[in-house]
Amino acid sequence: MTPPAGPLLGRRQAALGLLASALTLTSCGQPEEEILPYVNKPEGLTPGVSMRFATSLPMSGYGRGVLATTYEGRPVKLEGNPRHPASQGATDVFTEAAIFSLYDPDRSRSVRREGRVDTWEGFEAALLPRLAAAEADGGAGLRLLTGRQTSPTLLRLIADLRGRFPAMRWHVHEPVGEEAARAGAQLAFGTPLTVLPRLERARVILALDADPLGPGPEQIRHGRAFAAIRSARRDNAGGLARLYAVEPGFSTTGAKADHRLALAPAGLRDFALALAARLGADLPAPTLPAPMAPFLDAVVQDLQGARGAALVLAGPWAPPEMQALVHWINDRLEAPVDHLPPPPEQPEDLAALGAALRGGGVDTLVILDANPAYDAPADLDFAGALRGTGAFTVHSGPWRNETGALCRWHLPQHHPLEDWADLRATDGTASIAQPLIRPLYATRSAAWLLGLLRGELSLTAHAAVRETWAARWAAESFEANWRRALHDGVVPDSAARPLPPPAARPPALPPAPDEGPTLLLRPDPTVWDGRHANNPWLQECPKPLTRQVWGNAALMAPGEAERHGLRKGDVVQLHAGGRVLEAAVLPLPGMAAGVVMLSLGYGRQRAGAIGNDLGANAYRLRRQDALWEVSRLQLSPAGRREEVLQLQAAHQLEGEARELLPERPFSDFLRHPLEPAPKVPPTSLFKPLEPDAPVAWGMVIDSTLCIGCNACVVACQAENNVPVVGPGEVAKGRDMHWLRIDTYWHGSEARPRPGFQPVPCMHCEAAPCEPVCPVAASVHDAEGLNVQVYNRCIGTRFCQGNCPYKVRRFNFHGYADGQEYANQGEPIVAAHYNPDVTVRSRGVMEKCTYCVQRISAARRQAEKEDRPVAEGEVRTACQSACPAQAIQFGDLRKETAAVSRLRHEPQHYALLGHLGTRPRTTYLAQVRNPNPALEEPEA
Amino acid sequence: MSGGGGGTEGLLPRGTSYGALVGLVADALMRRNVGWRWYAAFGVTLAMTLMLAGCIAWLFLRGLGIFGNNTAVVWGFPIANYVWWIGIGNAGTFISAALLLTRQPWRAAINRFAEVMTIFAVSIAGLFPILHLGRPEYAYWLAPYPNVMGLWPQWRSALVWDFAAIVSYLIFSLLFWYLGLIPDMATLRDRAQTRTGQVAYGVLAMGWRGSARHWQLHDAVYRALAVMALPLVVSVHSVAAMDFSASLMPGWQETIYPPYFVVGALFSGFGMVIVLTALVRLGLGLQAIITPRHFEVMGKIVLACSLGMGLSYATEWFFAWSLGSRAELVHLHKLFDGEYTPLYVAMLACNLLVPQLMWIPQARRNILAVVGVAVVLNVGMWLERILIIWNTLSHGHLPSMWSVFWPSVFDWLVLAGSLGFFAMMFLCFARLLPAVAMHDLGKLLRERRKGS
Repeated sequence: MTPPAGPLLGRRQAALGLLASALTLTSCGQPEEEILPYVNKPEGLTPGVSMRFATSLPMSGYGRGVLATTYEGRPVKLEGNPRHPASQGATDVFTEAAIFSLYDPDRSRSVRREGRVDTWEGFEAALLPRLAAAEADGGAGLRLLTGRQTSPTLLRLIADLRGRFPAMRWHVHEPVGEEAARAGAQLAFGTPLTVLPRLERARVILALDADPLGPGPEQIRHGRAFAAIRSARRDNAGGLARLYAVEPGFSTTGAKADHRLALAPAGLRDFALALAARLGADLPAPTLPAPMAPFLDAVVQDLQGARGAALVLAGPWAPPEMQALVHWINDRLEAPVDHLPPPPEQPEDLAALGAALRGGGVDTLVILDANPAYDAPADLDFAGALRGTGAFTVHSGPWRNETGALCRWHLPQHHPLEDWADLRATDGTASIAQPLIRPLYATRSAAWLLGLLRGELSLTAHAAVRETWAARWAAESFEANWRRALHDGVVPDSAARPLPPPAARPPALPPAPDEGPTLLLRPDPTVWDGRHANNPWLQECPKPLTRQVWGNAALMAPGEAERHGLRKGDVVQLHAGGRVLEAAVLPLPGMAAGVVMLSLGYGRQRAGAIGNDLGANAYRLRRQDALWEVSRLQLSPAGRREEVLQLQAAHQLEGEARELLPERPFSDFLRHPLEPAPKVPPTSLFKPLEPDAPVAWGMVIDSTLCIGCNACVVACQAENNVPVVGPGEVAKGRDMHWLRIDTYWHGSEARPRPGFQPVPCMHCEAAPCEPVCPVAASVHDAEGLNVQVYNRCIGTRFCQGNCPYKVRRFNFHGYADGQEYANQGEPIVAAHYNPDVTVRSRGVMEKCTYCVQRISAARRQAEKEDRPVAEGEVRTACQSACPAQAIQFGDLRKETAAVSRLRHEPQHYALLGHLGTRPRTTYLAQVRNPNPALEEPEA
Repeated sequence: MSGGGGGTEGLLPRGTSYGALVGLVADALMRRNVGWRWYAAFGVTLAMTLMLAGCIAWLFLRGLGIFGNNTAVVWGFPIANYVWWIGIGNAGTFISAALLLTRQPWRAAINRFAEVMTIFAVSIAGLFPILHLGRPEYAYWLAPYPNVMGLWPQWRSALVWDFAAIVSYLIFSLLFWYLGLIPDMATLRDRAQTRTGQVAYGVLAMGWRGSARHWQLHDAVYRALAVMALPLVVSVHSVAAMDFSASLMPGWQETIYPPYFVVGALFSGFGMVIVLTALVRLGLGLQAIITPRHFEVMGKIVLACSLGMGLSYATEWFFAWSLGSRAELVHLHKLFDGEYTPLYVAMLACNLLVPQLMWIPQARRNILAVVGVAVVLNVGMWLERILIIWNTLSHGHLPSMWSVFWPSVFDWLVLAGSLGFFAMMFLCFARLLPAVAMHDLGKLLRERRKGS
């Protein structure tokens, strides 16, 4: 044994050495971090106090302005931007839920090559030589595929790209496209004009299978216009506009219509032809059967009587000839319609790209945020083409979806809330989108990729957007304009100028649809074309009318289902065009006979942990020649059942129950006021509460205006940290929404009139939940709020048992507290929480608070400034989201407040007012404006 | 009811003596070998008790969501079980107190185990409201105790009344039972053959020597307590009824509820006493002192209660119809044409139809028939408890929130486990304490001798 070479360490030295090495070992796993307070506080930033920034979000390519609330650089809530014409201060479900998609754990975080993690440098090294080689033939083999593009910057970059690759070809694929509308405008006017109906200037509207109030880029604008022409008020001298709907399916527009006729596509065509003929078109008018003829008479009379303010609408799914016919009718009626110039370039479609992929004409394909492998028509088999091609395929998008998985390279892209961009609204208004958070992952923007294609290695989206606008604004005023545009969220005077109304050509005969069963394909009200499928807020958001969640279903009239021996939940095989699709059946009263309706966007395979394998993939029956109506449909029972999850089954109101959601005709709503909310409290043994606060909060909801869009539901979820429970818990009847839109059906089963009733907490003055709580967790505050003290609650649930409105929600599991659904427990998900609202633990009851955190913020501000809280200063999340302004909130003590005035309207009533609960949330009954000539005999 | 003070006919064997009576009861306790049947029963019920413990552990681990409750039907099995068990717990004290005061001689052989049944049933009943809490660890917040939060229970809540009612009823029943047990403890002390037995029973006997003064004081206190017990017997179930009637829900908000619940409790309590009487009689070989006459009398009480229940149901239907409020009518309509109608019909059959058998004297004297009716009516009473909760909460004021309750496997396991736990405790009782009040039998014998 050899002696040790160096000097022996003393015991103390050895111990110190060990300690030191232990310290090094433990610390080497963590990068060195410094946590320092700000030395210089960023201007305007107070930790804990939110800041709001204007930006824009795309909806199918069109921009909608939003104001984002951020806490220390973390966006938590989106609201509408009042200055933006496509938002007008309101939102829809997609805008509200966008905040969650930012923090979606399934977002793509890394570059992938053939499915394996790779680097950005690796991608550049692979792409650049190909581009250099492609320059030789002008980029003839280079293809670009995008969704609908309105961004001036991206359009400019694509145009610039043509400078390097003149032979490059650009394709656009948008599953909910407007090809038919453009083609219809082309037929009618000779150019593919953009036609914008102006509902706010209409007095009589006929929706021919159109759904202006339904989901889409224009829902908010139309919702606001609808509210403007349908407000039944004591002092409304102009009266109510009248809305007719003729449709094969059932849309929210149909639900809000004064008169609705359910017609299969063939009947719809006959109706439109007859209408055109009555207005003087040189078309063969079919003779209409019994229910249609008087309906047409009434419609024609009304439309002609309102010349200049009469409007006929066709949906984007109507065939071009039908669109042209409607343009001609509107022309005859001098309808309130704006005609905007068409987009400068019509890119090629997806079919051409598919053919080129198969033909081998594609060398390099770059797909920017599109998902054709999932949402292309089935007869294209785009996924097959993508799989079989030898081309260099690149997919860039925030999610590695079906297309990303099939492309050779996948590039993670910024979320719109992390990126600089610019967007145009449907009316052409431009807005600049600014990032609200530093990118969460190593993602890059679409502008960078287009720059790379052009040969610029490090183009930032910021620079690209500034360059675009620098070209349009004078250099000396650029900075001022830029700041103004960022601050306001809109570029001033950027809206397209309407053209002088062009004369519509005489219409041609629309093709006759096939008789027999037809499948209608429609965008989904919560997941749209499938791109939002991985958003749990949207999956758990009940669809209007059916209130279905976590899936889609084949909707058909109850009689139709019975004829095929199908009941709710039976799986039916839909055969069409040689393809078969299995979908669960959900009977929906009011659908036309011989029609089955299925929404797009379900059955995804690579959406993520939330959206995979839900519902039926309607794209599998979609064909290029049958994008929206698949005829010659055959139905056969599949012999198995699937659960159709609904938060509420369709409920027909009969007898006394009608007073839950009363209906009144406009003609006599003034003469017969509903029972006013009792002014004098009913006798009680208890001394009535004498609140001493100067404020008494209250809410009035106008069910006439509610279009059932659910924006309020998702807004409430976002604002109040309402957890998602997942389909399993929904099946057990345990959804957590603080606000729900009850849907009741009036009228007969053949002619149903559904009505929407948003139900938040009523904040009863004599709240039944309060006396039954043994631990005083449910208490009243001085301003009249019925508040729930979470950390006092022990979960007896007596409050909910005794609540006549059943608005309380119980945490049966730790939905936000350790027992989250699917991937909802991932750390990143917690980033979406509003820090002003408690995240509730398991075993406690929760409910609507009237957004007490907003009240509190306003009160603090007012106290600082030594003034009372002003009218309109507190806006609840639901109120601020509502496109139709159906929800008003304010101080009942102020006679001038909107809520106080609404409480004096003749159709004002308290839901279940006879129970003596004296709710602070009250309602305005549904006022309809039926045509006396079409009055149905009511039992 | 047959017989007044002198009706000891058919209650005691002819020519028996005090010693024979005491031996009949006490010898069973002193015997070491209880036989495989006891061990088998104990094993099964112990397993069920462990299952209950496992379910409770899982409940605390996973939360209340393991049960079938949903947003509208926020109460389910645990509350129904609670009401059912507390109803069963009603009869023991009733038999001890009310029958003592009305001098019913037949109470002597059955009052002891009926009281034990009460204590066990009320204890188990008391578990359920705690188990059904979202945060059971804070159940003690229902008790008024000084705390740093400066908060008292919210006195207007029926749940606070209920908490007080259960606790006082349980404490009172224990005291009453123990007081009755003291002379018998002394008897066992004197007859115990092991040192352990002598010490254990001796401590529990609290120095009872059986002097005349002891007997005189005991009798006075016992009767005084009996007088105090009667209001409690009524109040505990009236208050349980107020958990429902002090609400705003259709089908709950009814003034008939407190008496209706008391009658129901008596009904199910006697039902359970009948079942236990038969088991004790068979298990401990007490055919001599527990006779068909006991069953006959209890059969009559069950019949009377059944008629009371019928009256209550009819009142409920009539008022729902005559008041004509929409929600009440919907509730009534859903009873007879709703998701739960088969259960409701079964309940009516169990509670109203089957007990009518007790009109027939031969059936009343047939122990099997009486026990059969008792089992059926207890099933019916459980159905009634669950339907009270289900039908009202499933069909509330707003049709949009109507939903059906589907019990989960844990709902069933906990119910079964509570039965097993009850049976296990009862088996222990039968093994350790005199199942029949020996001194009461002695008094009965004395009365008979005095009479003859």
